[in-house]
Amino acid sequence: MTTPGERSTLSFLPRWSIVWAIMRKDLAAYTRDRFYVLVTILALVVYVVLYWVLPSEVNESIEVGVHHSDLDSAFEQVTSSGTEGIEFTEFASEEELLSAIGANGEDGSLAIAISFPPDFVTQIAGGKDTTVKLYVDQDVPDEVRRAISGFVREFSLAIAGDPLPVTLPSEEEIILGVDRAGEQVSLREKLRPMIAFLVLMMETLALGSLVAVELHSRTLGALLVTPLRVLDFLTAKALFGTLLALSQAVFILLLVNGFASGAAPIFVALVLGALLVTGFGLISGSTGRDFLGMMLFGLLFMIPLAVPAVAVLFPGSTSLWVKIIPSYGLVEIIFRASSYQAGWRELMPFMAMLLGWCLAIFGVGLYILTRRVRTL
Amino acid sequence: MTDPAIRVDGLSFSYGDLLAVDNVSFEVAPGEILGFLGPNGAGKSTTIKVLTGQLTQTSGEATVLGMDVVSQRDEVQGRIGVSFEEKNLYENMSAKENLSFFASLFGIKGFDPNPLLKAVGLDGRGDERVSGFSKGMQQRLMVARSLVNDPEVLFLDEPTDGLDPVSSNAIRALITEQAERGVAVILTTHDMLEADKLSDRVAFINEGAIVALDTPEALKMKYGSRTVRLRFTEGDGVREEVVSLEEGNAGDALKAAVSNGDLATIHTEEATLEQIFIEITGRGLES
Repeated sequence: MTTPGERSTLSFLPRWSIVWAIMRKDLAAYTRDRFYVLVTILALVVYVVLYWVLPSEVNESIEVGVHHSDLDSAFEQVTSSGTEGIEFTEFASEEELLSAIGANGEDGSLAIAISFPPDFVTQIAGGKDTTVKLYVDQDVPDEVRRAISGFVREFSLAIAGDPLPVTLPSEEEIILGVDRAGEQVSLREKLRPMIAFLVLMMETLALGSLVAVELHSRTLGALLVTPLRVLDFLTAKALFGTLLALSQAVFILLLVNGFASGAAPIFVALVLGALLVTGFGLISGSTGRDFLGMMLFGLLFMIPLAVPAVAVLFPGSTSLWVKIIPSYGLVEIIFRASSYQAGWRELMPFMAMLLGWCLAIFGVGLYILTRRVRTL
Repeated sequence: MTDPAIRVDGLSFSYGDLLAVDNVSFEVAPGEILGFLGPNGAGKSTTIKVLTGQLTQTSGEATVLGMDVVSQRDEVQGRIGVSFEEKNLYENMSAKENLSFFASLFGIKGFDPNPLLKAVGLDGRGDERVSGFSKGMQQRLMVARSLVNDPEVLFLDEPTDGLDPVSSNAIRALITEQAERGVAVILTTHDMLEADKLSDRVAFINEGAIVALDTPEALKMKYGSRTVRLRFTEGDGVREEVVSLEEGNAGDALKAAVSNGDLATIHTEEATLEQIFIEITGRGLES
């Protein structure tokens, strides 16, 4: 039953010829909007170039400069066993060492350096005090400083032939979740979810603009006195927005090698992600009072939604509030599937989370737009 | 007897507590032009919105071409044309693309926009983007758009608003042509002269209700004053005399005036539609 004052939506299936006509019209409008075409091309080029410019490998070792005068065999013996992750570069004199280190040095290629005194072995073996100079650049984190300091102590004990004054307990390391040791991800790969997300969000603004234009230029009023039904209009906008966002996200992921592994789950995630951003596009397009309002609404969504993608760039435990952001599932699926070859089983919780958000946001978007259309 | 193209019976519509259309009834025959006159907020647009399927009435019935405007909305909208007062064209598309897009919504295959563009004086401008069109050109394009599906009923809201006299006459000729081929037209306008020229009948709508519905001539006869104004030259000046046709000696007075060599002009004092509207409602059309 139709309520007075509202358009009838008695039919439950869209008419595809009308849906297709609107989509073709929207595609023409989109491609003629110089601003969106320029932004889209620019974004695609910049993101792809940025991806390929970033390093593809992770250098996990710390380079440490060393100067010593009487440690040749002892130093080689100690460093050849148990110094994984530290690369030593020896310098003939302390002056050379200083010139290579940090911001104050001429070279500046080293961040940490150790200078052993000439009588180091004699003093240590004789049980006498001696001083080892540890040069550390101001940007070196405190935990790395402590690690190098610990190495010097252990080295001294090894030279002196003294055992450690305590008996160390046995350790059993239990990894919760998937052990990612040795699978460090390069910055380039970490950027991949961010690129996909930004391209999707960009299309949110484009769709929002197309919806807002129909409302504010009152062309929708002209459409609604033709055989077009509200359902046809909603279907066309939703389908166009989703396909636009999906096609561009797929295209850019192809360019940044995003489908090399986990192509199927990534594609499904992109479909859901495209629906999600279409929902946001429908909301911003329906609620903004003008083009500027629509843009502000779009940005209002865009900023918090970008947080999970940013979080990937900075490893560590993710806060709970980040996990409840709608884009979190999308970012995690792309990251885990493309970088760690995660399978469906591991990705399923994220997929379910994304699907839930997708249905909710898309539903809200359709509801708001329907209300706007009915009360025109 | 021909069935009416539009039949409205006891139609009412409320926006919440505000009664916008109050028990309106009228009919429009095929080929007839009905002028729909009234000030802003009188209920004209709401009535048109109900008839074109944009709103559902609170009570009453309305049929277009024998079809119920609610239950058969899709069928009705396939056979009507609507031109709006507010410009609502796709400005980043060309005139041809605008027409072709709307034709595709009606499922028309192989649509040729050129004849319509020619009919509204836009031939040769079809490939230009609408954003570069003047207000008058956009208005003409909207009228053309309302005709893409070769409608049997036309709803035209201020179709000549803002047009120059030549363009206005072209649109009026087009409306008359449509009526002559059997299209029923509801013409909403503030322009009393236009309504007078084009309409077979006019409906005065005020505060949601139709307060008068008849041919312009009948309304003038009913509400206009039956007087003749005579002007005589008198020296360097002019003398006026008003003769009431209601009076018994009106014939003698006119004979005497005609035989008077100083008679310069004779004017019938026919009331305008606007004067009649004010007389009936106590308010002007612009209020």
